[in-house]
Amino acid sequence: MTTTGGLDAPAWGGFDPARAERDRSGRWPAFLTSVRLGWQVEANWTDPFLFFIYSVAKPLSATLILVVMIDIISGGGAGPYRAFVVVGTALWSIVLSGLSGLAWTILDDRERYRMLKYVYVSPSDFLMHLVGRSIARLAVGVMGAIITIIIGVLLLGVPISLEKVDVPLLLADIVGGLWVILAIGTVLGAVSLQTRQESWQYPEAMAGALFLISGAVFPLSVLPAPMQAVGLAGPLTWWIEGFRHAVFPGGPSGVGGPGSVWEGVTGTAAPDPAIIVGALLATGALVTLAAIGVFRVSERRAKERGLLDQTTGS
Amino acid sequence: MSVVETGRPTTPQEDADWSTSQVVLTNLRAIGGRAYPRITGLMREKSWVFFEILLPLLATSAFVFVYRALQAPAQYIGFVVIGGAMVAFWLNVIWMMASQLWWEKSQGNLELYFAAPMSIMSVLFGMAVGGMVMSSSRAVVVLAVASVVYDVQFAVDQWALLLAVFFLTLAALYGLGMMLASLFVMWGREAFHLTQLLTEPIYFVSGLNFPVARLGILGSLALGTIPLAVGLDAMRQLAFATAAFPVGTPEPAVEALILVAMTIAFLGASRLMLATMERLARKEGRLSVRWQ
Repeated sequence: MTTTGGLDAPAWGGFDPARAERDRSGRWPAFLTSVRLGWQVEANWTDPFLFFIYSVAKPLSATLILVVMIDIISGGGAGPYRAFVVVGTALWSIVLSGLSGLAWTILDDRERYRMLKYVYVSPSDFLMHLVGRSIARLAVGVMGAIITIIIGVLLLGVPISLEKVDVPLLLADIVGGLWVILAIGTVLGAVSLQTRQESWQYPEAMAGALFLISGAVFPLSVLPAPMQAVGLAGPLTWWIEGFRHAVFPGGPSGVGGPGSVWEGVTGTAAPDPAIIVGALLATGALVTLAAIGVFRVSERRAKERGLLDQTTGS
Repeated sequence: MSVVETGRPTTPQEDADWSTSQVVLTNLRAIGGRAYPRITGLMREKSWVFFEILLPLLATSAFVFVYRALQAPAQYIGFVVIGGAMVAFWLNVIWMMASQLWWEKSQGNLELYFAAPMSIMSVLFGMAVGGMVMSSSRAVVVLAVASVVYDVQFAVDQWALLLAVFFLTLAALYGLGMMLASLFVMWGREAFHLTQLLTEPIYFVSGLNFPVARLGILGSLALGTIPLAVGLDAMRQLAFATAAFPVGTPEPAVEALILVAMTIAFLGASRLMLATMERLARKEGRLSVRWQ
């Protein structure tokens, strides 16, 4: 008989498989805690008034840049285009904040607070935690967008008529759009897991590039045909188109229009609501699957190379 | 026990009494040492090329297409291209100058800077030199590629003044960055949020994509306080000498003098503020963060 000096497994086996499994019942409370933590990180650094100014200044300024550009050239005579631009720019503030959410959470937790490795080894789902943290930034973007649209209606001549709004389309579009933004933000989070701390500006750079091909501030028909095709494959294009279609039924289309690839392929001037929602769902599903795949690959590589607790500088 | 033989016994007071050449050489080494990671970092982080050079080129293109959609005169596309190039320096100033000392504090380096035997101004100057090299790569690519792709026709009469305005703009911008860096030493998370606030609102009042004269009094205020605004306006006037400009902004030579005044004021203020903030930060225990 061999002896193990008292190190034998206890009578009950010494290993409880249940403890090694993720406790799914704790997933939602953990997610809500992450959301709350994210909100506090985003919002409790100043008083509510300054926070409000901070939240509105960026989207409003971005809108005013384009409004001034339009007015310089058109002499104030491009009313429908101005409404097109105000709504597109307001929505883009959600993209900007949503895309930076996951990436900045990773950089913050890894480089500044140095908590990322502890969060990673905690029982919470890592991706769920990151998404929860980034919800707060997304909410700040949504708030900025709403206030920009209100200012657009009150001061910039945006003709939104509440009784004409297509509410079902608007709701479906908003849910789909926010989902897609979080998915693209997840891709940038995956990138941030691999890069140095200088990548703070990467989400803004990515948003700037997507700005070109999403029909946010000009119709896609202005672009060369291959770029229009790339834009049509992107869910943000359909999200913005859906929002415009819901609030300005029959207004200018960012996807269709004379000379557009859309018109050339389908023979119609602009897509109808069913097509918009279908395209948003289809492209959004593809982006979501890609985002989860890219994030898992990045997560594995970060673990292999010890990147979860790296600190960098320049 | 190790003993360093120096030939003659010295006191700590004598060792601390540096000659002018020692002081100058140490500060020059500090400038080079602080610029080094930014310049070599260009080669080390390959993703930087994609995210910091190629994607901003696309963002600039978006504003070009806005003017194309409006069928604007050709020089407006040139305005956007110059704005797209100069914004690289502005972003570098706010992200990697203004908030850098605050960032160094978070990382635990700030107390080492203050304990090292060189002027902290040399550290800031080194950051500025490295940052200028870093941002120049993006600015050059945006300017060159966008000019070719969008067929921008420059009409320059005064090359010397244009180059002088460009370098004065950089001097004033990085002087402002050094001043903000001094201020941010005292701040916590609000420094990070303020950094974000210095993007679109500043682009708007500086007339990044349009002549700043169109903003009236707001534009005039920007010309008197923000180097990006005055530098952009002067460069546009010089780079598109034949273009019809909205009236209301000073001649480029006057704007060059404004930039000189800004450079002197910002550098002087940064030196003064750095000394004040360092004293306050030492007094209030803010040179390091608690958990380090």
